[in-house]
Amino acid sequence: MNRRKFLSLGLGLGAAAVMLPSTLSAVNYRETKTSAFEGPKSHTVEESMKELFGTSTTKEEKVTLSAPDIAENGAVVPLQVTSDLAGKTVAIFQDANPESLVAVFTVPANGIIDFKIRIKMAKTGNVTAVVQDGNTLYSHTKEVKVTAGGCGG
Amino acid sequence: MAKKSRIKVKEKKGVTTAKVLASHDMLSYDEAKRAKKEVNFITYMIAKVEGEVVYEVSTSQFLSKNPFVQFAFKGANKGKMLEFTWTDLKGVTRTDKAKIK
Repeated sequence: MNRRKFLSLGLGLGAAAVMLPSTLSAVNYRETKTSAFEGPKSHTVEESMKELFGTSTTKEEKVTLSAPDIAENGAVVPLQVTSDLAGKTVAIFQDANPESLVAVFTVPANGIIDFKIRIKMAKTGNVTAVVQDGNTLYSHTKEVKVTAGGCGG
Repeated sequence: MAKKSRIKVKEKKGVTTAKVLASHDMLSYDEAKRAKKEVNFITYMIAKVEGEVVYEVSTSQFLSKNPFVQFAFKGANKGKMLEFTWTDLKGVTRTDKAKIK
């Protein structure tokens, strides 16, 4: 463990401790799983998924990811993830940008897996939605063709 | 200065759907470099109804500018307040409220 990682870990723990009283079930994955968001292991979907969930083996079923086939503007790519699973964690990955993890949702007790979000994509790539239910990961991957880059490119 | 988030929350047949448009530049590392501005993006969003968490997401730099999110949950009645908070990379937070209709 190098110094930088150690420091960020400490920061994350500190922040988590401060947040605890008001938000008991809250998990900020940027702080607890920093390595999945940035750093050497965040560049590919597979490695980032391993950092986040501990495995990158997924079943391609029970999750629906809606995205446009062709996105005219990569700056705004609307996504929708739906699933009937009683999963607690939902993550969105893509392989078009420098880092692959886009968002990690925590599904609260009353929550329904029906999330819409708009993301940026630098180029054409595959978007993957993953739902963690128990120890199993369910996923759905869809290719989105981007005709104009979103990250200023 | 961060602007107000636009929030619409509606309850129908026990399912509450919320649409939120947060106002944020969401400058990724590449974009910020090109625009010679400081990197900043929303890293965490949370929504609550009467203290109970109904939505929670940790986000990266690849959300669109002025990010839009939609989510749904059960068990909240009309008239209650939805509280939506985001936190960005610089530690700025903003909380906005909207009544469930």
